Amino acid sequence: METNLLPAPDVLSVHWLWFQILLVVTFTLHIILVNLILGGSLLAIWNRFKKTETPVFSGKIPIFVALTINLGVPPLLFLQVLYGHLFYTSSVLMAVYWIAIIPILIFAYYGTYIYVKKADKAPLLATISLWTSTIFLLYIAFVFVINSTLTQLPEEWISYFQNKGGTFLLLNEPSIWPRFLHFIFASLAVAAIGKSVFIHFAKKLKPEDKKVAIQKNLKIAAVATLIQVFVGFWFWLSMPEAVWKIFMGGQLISTLFMVAGWLIAMAILYFSFTGKLVPTLVAIVLEVIVMVLIREFARNAYLKGIFHPSDLATQYQISPLLIFLIIFIVGLGLIYYMIQLSQKPKNSRL
Amino acid sequence: MNYPIWHLPSTGGSLLIAIIAIVHVVIAHLAVGGGLFLVLAEWKALKTNDAGLLAYVKSHTWFFLLLSMVFGGVTGVGIWFIISLVTPGATSLLIHTFVFAWAIEWVFFIGEIVALLIYHYRFDKMNSGSHLIIGWLYFIFAWLSLFMINGILAFMLTPGDWLTTGNFWDGLFNPGFLPSLLFRTAISLIFAGVFGLVTASFLKDQQLRNRIFKYCAKWMYFPLALLVLTGIYYTKVISAESFENLFHFNAESNLFRDVLLYSSFALFGLGLFTLFRLPALAQKIGAFILVALCFSWMGGFEYSREIARKPYVIYNYMYSNGILVKEAENINKTGFLKHAKWTEIQEITNKNKLEAGSEIFRLQCMSCHTIDGYNAIKPQINRLTERGLEAQLTGLGKVNTYMPPFVGTPNEKKALAAYLFYELLGKETETVKAFQPTEFPLEVPAFNSEKNEYVLLVWNDLGMHCVSDNEKYFSFLPPANTFNAQLFKRGAKPELITKNVRIEYNIESGFENPEERSMFWKYSKAIFGVDVPVGYGLAGKTVNDTMDAHSNHFAAELIPVIAYRKDQLYNPFPMFTFKAVDQKSGELLAETKAVAPVSTEMGCRNCHEGGWAWNGISGVADKTSENLLAAHDKYNNTTLLADAKNGNPKLCQSCHGDPALGVPEKADILNFSTAIHGFHANYLSGMDHQSCNLCHPSRIDGNTTCFRGRHAKNEINCTECHGRLEDHALGLLAGQSSKPAAKRLSAALVPHYVDDKTTINPRTPWVIEPDCKSCHTNFNIREDGYSGTSFNKWVSGFADLYRNRTDEQGVMCIACHGSTHAVYGAENKFGKQRDNMQPLQYQGLAGTIGTHENCSLCHTKKMNANGHHRNQIKRKISAAIVH
Repeated sequence: METNLLPAPDVLSVHWLWFQILLVVTFTLHIILVNLILGGSLLAIWNRFKKTETPVFSGKIPIFVALTINLGVPPLLFLQVLYGHLFYTSSVLMAVYWIAIIPILIFAYYGTYIYVKKADKAPLLATISLWTSTIFLLYIAFVFVINSTLTQLPEEWISYFQNKGGTFLLLNEPSIWPRFLHFIFASLAVAAIGKSVFIHFAKKLKPEDKKVAIQKNLKIAAVATLIQVFVGFWFWLSMPEAVWKIFMGGQLISTLFMVAGWLIAMAILYFSFTGKLVPTLVAIVLEVIVMVLIREFARNAYLKGIFHPSDLATQYQISPLLIFLIIFIVGLGLIYYMIQLSQKPKNSRL
Repeated sequence: MNYPIWHLPSTGGSLLIAIIAIVHVVIAHLAVGGGLFLVLAEWKALKTNDAGLLAYVKSHTWFFLLLSMVFGGVTGVGIWFIISLVTPGATSLLIHTFVFAWAIEWVFFIGEIVALLIYHYRFDKMNSGSHLIIGWLYFIFAWLSLFMINGILAFMLTPGDWLTTGNFWDGLFNPGFLPSLLFRTAISLIFAGVFGLVTASFLKDQQLRNRIFKYCAKWMYFPLALLVLTGIYYTKVISAESFENLFHFNAESNLFRDVLLYSSFALFGLGLFTLFRLPALAQKIGAFILVALCFSWMGGFEYSREIARKPYVIYNYMYSNGILVKEAENINKTGFLKHAKWTEIQEITNKNKLEAGSEIFRLQCMSCHTIDGYNAIKPQINRLTERGLEAQLTGLGKVNTYMPPFVGTPNEKKALAAYLFYELLGKETETVKAFQPTEFPLEVPAFNSEKNEYVLLVWNDLGMHCVSDNEKYFSFLPPANTFNAQLFKRGAKPELITKNVRIEYNIESGFENPEERSMFWKYSKAIFGVDVPVGYGLAGKTVNDTMDAHSNHFAAELIPVIAYRKDQLYNPFPMFTFKAVDQKSGELLAETKAVAPVSTEMGCRNCHEGGWAWNGISGVADKTSENLLAAHDKYNNTTLLADAKNGNPKLCQSCHGDPALGVPEKADILNFSTAIHGFHANYLSGMDHQSCNLCHPSRIDGNTTCFRGRHAKNEINCTECHGRLEDHALGLLAGQSSKPAAKRLSAALVPHYVDDKTTINPRTPWVIEPDCKSCHTNFNIREDGYSGTSFNKWVSGFADLYRNRTDEQGVMCIACHGSTHAVYGAENKFGKQRDNMQPLQYQGLAGTIGTHENCSLCHTKKMNANGHHRNQIKRKISAAIVH
């Protein structure tokens, strides 16, 4: 292990737990949205192929992309505060693939707009755009999976000396593929449930059509979750022994969360197969939260003996945090206010 | 050095940053100003019941959303991605220092997104008053985003009190915050107008189109005053160095300043077309041209800002290669490679030297430079030798303050220079053939102390003297050698003769026609402004001529003698024969010989690649000349190389005045000696007399060894009189302290012989020099192991110089002791006694005239008093010192 390659981190301005909490909260919101756009795109491809497409959910994908990107900012920020020195390093190692995300995301983003705007007027263009966007989104997800893994495997960084051009891809790490698949099936399940919620609130659909559509989507979520059970197990055991063992009695809290994760997965399976929307929704949200936390435990286990955020030095400056919290609350209030305003009925403009 | 470097030998990370940043910054500014544009246009439409305008606002909102939210939003993340790949250290610092500023900015960003989505998707579907409120909220959120980001951007250029307090608020509300915020606000309004034209140009209704074009024009021109005023304000808050780098010194900034300037003229000039009724196509093309100009304008501005910030990424805190300013000194002591994490080489050996140099280049230089792509290193260094590259590294960040200093040990510096020269440039060291100086036979003129009535003493006024020798490109030392002479009539009381006598001189055979081997006459008109008659010198003397009588001596000034003999032999000390003749009778009164030091061994080629000009021995080759003129042009924005190639070479002193040539100084330009020493001292610092030897023909193992007098023989070197190069330069720079360049050149110089450079006494070159008496106190010879220096102990005035000073009888010091740098007892490698002709002739002993109590060579009666100066005949000094 080349521990001397670890860059020296910068100092924090408040206790590390603040950043850890902010990271978990904002990442949860971000990943749900990511699941919605990726899973939503995959579902749209399927539905377009089966000609069972409805704009109720897929028509919102561009808006989800805008919000996903926006909500991606805070977790990336807080991740860099806590793990920046590891994250920057792994990013440099795979710099070409990493920076390619930006143009690819721009194309994917515009692709979703073309798909939505041209779905009926230019169906072929819309289909091509949808496929392109989805493949691009899968690329982004794959690169994120690899970078996240490489961030927590400093022993792999030695590859830099064979490849300094930023084209290193950590493909021979056993957890990469199950992790990627774990992400795809989670996206499908979350998007299917999310779509059901949108259908539930859709104003233009008849109640009986709604019911059929919701049942159909919950079934998709159920199948995705069932496959996810196996993929999850594969992912779990693909991790190094020192990591997977913490979820198997090696560490009480991690084990408890893993048990909770399995139980909630069972609950999702039950509720979705039985077509109960609200319990399924509650369960999937809980499951995402549990999985986000499990992700944090796993990262700490990977980096055990190498780095933990509590190792970071702190030079306290509280006032910026306080001002942020105040502005955050005022901001949320204004967003609520704007949404309220947007519902005000139309008047004669001119 | 904390992070791995993304190796991009051709593209370079900084180009990637630039591409993403320029695109993003234009859109990001549009996103701010455009928000106000939309809501005010909507308000105007509602107020004036203008359905056409309202429809325009709606369609412009869609264009605006697609551009700002998708392209602007993602490229914003793109900047974050790319800076963390190219400058991860700085990114980490900015993230950690301003984490809650970024977080606050994110709150504004999400407010912006929500507002814009509502504004667009609910345009016709909600209450119009509420819709206007949403529009206003969008603009407020967008401007607040700018408010936050602007603080961090301005922080990088003007961190202000943060540098000492480390306080978040000091960093955010730094000195550049306000001018930058106002400036960028003005830009955002202007861009809103320009981009408004794009949607408008697609309107089919010509009347409406023209109306909106005029409306957009107001957005373009009304904020112009704010832009100009805040732009001026902005330049006032940046440091003086930044300002100078941006506007005066850094040639690299010219391009971007020009882009900014011309884009401004083009944008606001062409923008006037919006006021005229033109065909739809012309308006469309015009709108897109203006949009393109926004990008070039922004590129010019942001690049200029980057250049102003150089050599830092965070001013005065972190260099652009990620090295912290506070760490540099420690790394210089302990070694760069030892501190660098991402290298496999820690220690430099002879075997891994080039590889180590390559690692240092990658880790220290490649965050800005590519090898041969964007901001390529090759064209920057390909005019230098390995030694020159080492000097360049020594001087980095000193004169060219836009470059960070080289950080590392001297060995690491050598390794980097070697890598750059041998591997990166793929060059080889110039093969220099060993030079064996010819020992020319000596014919000492006869002197009969019984019969001869006169003693003629002749000397060259400088002793160490060069000819710059490539007038095709430049000149600062033309072939111009001056001899002085004193003639004494021997007697009980010797008499100094200056009247009724003519002193003739002749050069030795083979040197009679210097014009055959010198370009001096060919270029004299261009260089000196006069067509000097062939064979004549600048004062009208030829190599065989007569001296002019002065009050106490004779002189032949500026004789055009050169070092190349007719048969191609190199002799930098050609011998002259002098004859004193009675003007009336024609009787020969006295005859003697003296050498003219005329070396062309100027060491420019040691650093400026190109080699020697004359048979691999001496002279400044064409290529060397081109390379050094190119360097001058680069640093000073001159066109000397092009001028020379067009047949207009310059006399260096035509700009840099020089007391040595009698050229008056210009108000803001350093005199020649100060400029050349002051500049090079920054590049050749930390050395002993070896730095002098790199340029002057003084090296013991050189092809001239012009420093050949008794001091040299006693291993006293240049620095013991003149100080080290830095000392020497600081003395000269102190004498020119009112000139701006003096401040820049002296800023990084550290004196060796004094602790505090402010205690260095200013002096004027050639007029005020080190005082011999500072070592030779009371005219004593120092045999006591004295190792002091006469640096900073200057003569009191011009008349007090060794070469001008006389005793009370009018006998000049230099007449008896020999030329400076060739004080009698000298050894010349072109014939050991070549410089001692007169002492050998008159007293058979190569020491001072009259030494060993040889008073009788002038005085015909025994002398018991110190007639010329104290301690003169105190004792008979040891033969070892004399010889």
